[in-house]
Amino acid sequence: MNLRINFSSGVPIYLQLIEQIKHAVDTGAVREGEQLPTIRKVAEELAMNPNTVARAYRELERDGVIEVRHGLGAYVAEPRASSAKSIEIRKAGAVLRPAIEKGVALGLSESELRRVFEDELSRLVNDAIAARRRT
Amino acid sequence: MLWYKAWLETRWRFGFLVGMILMVWLAPLWISATGVHSGVPAARQWMGIQLGSVLLYIFTAIYLAGSGVNSQTIYAATSGFHGSMLFTLSLPVSRRRLLFVRAGLGAILTCILVAIMAGYILFLRPEATSAIEAAVYLTRVIVCTMAVYAVSVLLACVLDEMWQFTGVCFLWVAVFLLQSRFEMLSRVSPLRGMSLNCYPITAPMPWAPVVTSAVLAGILLYASVLVLQRKEY
Amino acid sequence: MSETIISTQGLLKSYSGKPALRGLNLAVPRGSICGFLGRNGAGKTTTLKLLLGMLRPDGGEIRLFGETVKSEASSIAARQRLAFISEDKELYPYMTVGQTIRFTRAFFPTWRRDLEEKFLELFRLPREKAVPKLSRGMRTQLMLLLAMARGSELLMMDEPTSGLDPAMTEDILQALADLAVSDETTVFFSSHQLMEVEQICDRVCLIDEGQSVIQGVLDDLKAQYRRILLVFDAAPPLALAGLPGIDHLRQRGRTASILAHNNVDAVVESARALGAISTEVRPVTLKELFLDHVRGE
Repeated sequence: MNLRINFSSGVPIYLQLIEQIKHAVDTGAVREGEQLPTIRKVAEELAMNPNTVARAYRELERDGVIEVRHGLGAYVAEPRASSAKSIEIRKAGAVLRPAIEKGVALGLSESELRRVFEDELSRLVNDAIAARRRT
Repeated sequence: MLWYKAWLETRWRFGFLVGMILMVWLAPLWISATGVHSGVPAARQWMGIQLGSVLLYIFTAIYLAGSGVNSQTIYAATSGFHGSMLFTLSLPVSRRRLLFVRAGLGAILTCILVAIMAGYILFLRPEATSAIEAAVYLTRVIVCTMAVYAVSVLLACVLDEMWQFTGVCFLWVAVFLLQSRFEMLSRVSPLRGMSLNCYPITAPMPWAPVVTSAVLAGILLYASVLVLQRKEY
Repeated sequence: MSETIISTQGLLKSYSGKPALRGLNLAVPRGSICGFLGRNGAGKTTTLKLLLGMLRPDGGEIRLFGETVKSEASSIAARQRLAFISEDKELYPYMTVGQTIRFTRAFFPTWRRDLEEKFLELFRLPREKAVPKLSRGMRTQLMLLLAMARGSELLMMDEPTSGLDPAMTEDILQALADLAVSDETTVFFSSHQLMEVEQICDRVCLIDEGQSVIQGVLDDLKAQYRRILLVFDAAPPLALAGLPGIDHLRQRGRTASILAHNNVDAVVESARALGAISTEVRPVTLKELFLDHVRGE
């Protein structure tokens, strides 16, 4: 598993770890039943905080991506709910890709595209909040 | 281990003093035996040796006391935070114990050197010295030198290394000058207590300066502990 | 076993009438690595020295390992369980590595010889080398060895990686990670190197002008805080500043930049209601959190 964390980004580190491990599972870089590196190993290799690693592992366990076998370590779980999620994620990616490509064709830069996306997203969220208020 | 550390810090000063004392003792012997002043009467030489001895006692006490409670490393001047003192203070040891060991070792070394010098003086003395007279002389020299030492320790707690030495020297020069002016001072002055000019070997124990010195040493060392305990780093 | 290793309440300290700490409230839980941030002169070194008993507070309370530290005796009891590495990492120049270890060992009955050997070898520190001949990085490693071999439950450091090259820095961070995993040692250190803090710390405390302005789990802070960039048709309305939940607001021309946490959506909605023609929400880095909280308006 090739983990690369951007410590200076605004994205919480434990979330980055979760994302990368999920990605590794989804792409088959680690297979079902394979053991994940211990918290200690990850922390020492990346010279990062073990509590943060532990937090990521806990959430991954809660999400059913991995299972922690007492005294043995963390193992990739059987694909169940996680795989459903990853399928949905891939579907969403497929839906968004043409929209993004269109935006690029219009001449928008990455940050402009991002701004448009976030704008639309917050608008949607706000509309949803407003709609909920009306009912 | 604190004693070991104190020794590592003090040994250069101690070595320097031993060298200096040897020079001061050996040189006059050599000079008087072979030199221009070989015709000088023994009595005059004897007086010179006495004066020199007092100065040496004082210098020893000051010099060994200063190897300091405040001094730590050559980086102290630049870092502004007394360098390795921060390490020492982060250890689980009380300031009182730190002072006790540092001042204690200095005191022991001072007493040793002073005793050797005093013994040498007795050895040089033209007339014979009785055991009691020798004991009295040794005692008063050591106790009076301890008073000088205690003052130096207190100043070492308050001033930093450079200033401590100058400060102490000035102080004792002032006492030396004032004691000839103020009778009260001259009766209890440690400087006179260790001097053979004021109290010859045949004289009985000069209790006034000796007791004053002992009490002064005790009070000042206690004060040093208090100062160190309140000090901020 | 206390859960909060370091705790201060309303800590006050002034130097010649000038206040350095104006009521610092600090809480560092067991097993965390907490970065202590602040501008120069904000009170970081003062705080460390107060915790160690090198300075006496003018007011407030200090608790280490759950015990109140007030007298010299209680400070000494606390120091039996902790280690400190000062910024300049000064040790005794008349000692060798071996002598320094022997000296320090004498104070700690729980000294671990095996760790001493392990780190001597890992850091490649020769016992016979005189301390002044060690580079800054090696002095740091020696002090880390002294801290770890004594089995300290708390390690406090003042700018541990300042002046170190990136390789040495990584070694130090790795040693800290190792420390946190194996011994549940709590680490508390002040630093200006935000990147290193982000890498190794799970918690941060930012102080400014003698008080704590942000404190908590770093990942949570990054999850909660957002930068909201707004563009208006004309100058941003005055009402913008009055919106609840804004931590920091900067306006320039027709744009406004807001730092907010916990109710970001509400702020965006209100900003739209006030006429914002464009809203962008971005995550926030530690550097931004730092700068926004200490540079004032």
